[in-house]
Amino acid sequence: MPLLDIRNLQLEFGTGRDAVRAVDGVSFTIAEGETLCLVGESGCGKSVSALSIARLVPTPPARYVGGEILLNGCDVLKMDQRELRSIRGGVVSYVFQEPSASLNPVFRVGNQIKESLKLHRPQFATDDEVIRLLKLVGIPAPESRIRDYPHQMSGGMQQRIMIAMALASEPKLLVADEPTTALDVTIQAQILELLRDLKARLRMSILLITHNLGIVGDIADRVAVMYAGQIVELSPARALLQRPLHPYTQALMNSVPQLGHELDRLQAIPGNVPNLGQFPRGCRFHPRCPKAQSDCSQKAPELVEVEPGRWVRCPYWK
Amino acid sequence: MGTFILKRLLHMIPILLGVSLLTFLLMSLTPGGYLQSLRQNPQISAETVERLLAKYHYDKPWYVQYLYWLKNAAQGDFGYSIQYKIPATDLITARLWNTFLLSLFATIVAWCIAVPLGIWAAVNKDSLVDRACAMVAFVGLSVPEILLALLALMFAAATGWFPIGGAQSSRYDELTTLQRLWDRAHHLVLPVLVLAASELAGIMRQMRSNLLDTLRAEYVTAARAKGLPEGWVIYKHALRNAINPLLTIFGYSLAHLLSGAFIVENIMAWPGLGRLTIEAYTAKDSMLVVDSVVMATALLIVGNFVADVMLAWSDPRIRLKE
Ligand SMILES: Nc1ncnc2c1ncn2[C@@H]1O[C@H](COP(=O)(O)OP(=O)(O)OP(=O)(O)O)[C@@H](O)[C@H]1O
Ligand SMILES: [Mg+2]
Repeated sequence: MPLLDIRNLQLEFGTGRDAVRAVDGVSFTIAEGETLCLVGESGCGKSVSALSIARLVPTPPARYVGGEILLNGCDVLKMDQRELRSIRGGVVSYVFQEPSASLNPVFRVGNQIKESLKLHRPQFATDDEVIRLLKLVGIPAPESRIRDYPHQMSGGMQQRIMIAMALASEPKLLVADEPTTALDVTIQAQILELLRDLKARLRMSILLITHNLGIVGDIADRVAVMYAGQIVELSPARALLQRPLHPYTQALMNSVPQLGHELDRLQAIPGNVPNLGQFPRGCRFHPRCPKAQSDCSQKAPELVEVEPGRWVRCPYWK
Repeated sequence: MGTFILKRLLHMIPILLGVSLLTFLLMSLTPGGYLQSLRQNPQISAETVERLLAKYHYDKPWYVQYLYWLKNAAQGDFGYSIQYKIPATDLITARLWNTFLLSLFATIVAWCIAVPLGIWAAVNKDSLVDRACAMVAFVGLSVPEILLALLALMFAAATGWFPIGGAQSSRYDELTTLQRLWDRAHHLVLPVLVLAASELAGIMRQMRSNLLDTLRAEYVTAARAKGLPEGWVIYKHALRNAINPLLTIFGYSLAHLLSGAFIVENIMAWPGLGRLTIEAYTAKDSMLVVDSVVMATALLIVGNFVADVMLAWSDPRIRLKE
């Protein structure tokens, strides 16, 4: 049994005729110790899918229309508030994009970490344990840092604090939602290095969200590519990077800047991401797809396993 | 912290100087004066008037008068009220105290009602409670203090439950200490309620929108993601941040409060600074006008200072170092 098994998740914002489906039939699994990268352009539903794992999307405005989210075999969508509180932190922890916004500005960082400890490992809610966690995430001189307020730290340090806070409850799954997007490039590399190191040491599962395929190769075991609320390709990382099958994945790969290549080879994907609720008929990618056929605008393709472990939502992937 | 307080106190000086100078100038520009009007009184001899004018330096140009006033004020002597025939310092102190009491209790009442209501409305957004609060706030914001004060007076007159005007009853001197306290409280109730009501709506709406903002903040989602119970998420993580902008507002709202007090005092005959200012102005008791205006300014500055200290205490991002 995988640690996380999301089956056909469907989520809408709004009600009645104004309802728009932000997540439409997303399914993926994460095994224990596995790292899955969720990739896709802005607004395709990555965050909403990830937040759903601990049911953190506020309802309303959101509404779960269908599907299951099995965490350790239990459906998160059917849990009551008490059960939800125990899996939040206890099984799945989050690190968000903007560290300066995710830490509460009026509390000392040490106390914010201790708060997690109190909830999930009360016997360890001590300064010593906080210091150990800060060391684990590579904060220099942690003894002098626990009484700092968030604003007294740099963005990279704040993100390390967020990671320490997420690790404090010893979760099985760490969800990192674009944890490096708000940081500058050298710090980005350090944070990714830290995640990779933690993954090896703590044997946690990680769900890493990014819109940058460039960082996938270093850390991911498998990759799920999302487009307009759906997964369009799901594949082992190495295979996907060597030979992307879905035209959207191929386009994404071409838009990643690579060292040593001339800039004019960099291709932006033509057209725009369709707005929520205004998806084209048939395949949602077909208006922007270089390989579109005449029937692409008619029939919505299914996600099909085309090779062992490789799923593609395109009948013309060959 | 010590240097911060010192610095703020030093900042007060130029403001008070500017305000007093301006008031002095304006008063000297308005024609006539208390003593000048005595000239029309046939019972008072011209010599007496001239003697009085010379005694209080009213025969000198305004800037000389100002310098005299400044010299005395610096020593805690705010001159002599020629209208009330007592030292202005005594008069001002008593009136200042009354205005302070009125504003203090109005603030306490307004905040104690508005803050919980605002929280309640935010937590139950779009519920019946929230809509009811919005309606009440709308009415509260559109009804002027004058109307409220008049309504309160009518209410007092019709029911006889509250005294009409004044800060104490005429037999105040015969009462025991406890009775005196009760008597003062009884006189305070209506003015405080009127003033509080006019403040309440604004604070409530502000509280509601602040809390709604912070409830959307990412650190609130992060707190929820830790597994905190919803009550803690709201009352510890969100509320603690929603209070900070309110403390900034507190500083600004003092000016509103004082001008509100001004109106309430004049309509409900509350012997405070605002009423004194008007009385002094009507009687052309110019020194007293300057004194009251300067005192009101000082009250405002001190209030703002208190708000700043509270904000610094509440929000670690604000440092008092400079
Ligand atoms: N509270 C909300 N109310 C209405 N629509 C929402 C809400 N939250 C998200 N959405 C919509 O759901 C869609 C998916 O949003 P989501 O945040 O998951 O995108 P994302 O893939 O994480 O994008 P990004 O890379 O910008 O973070 C978006 O189109 C967004 O507009
Ligand atoms: Mg996102």
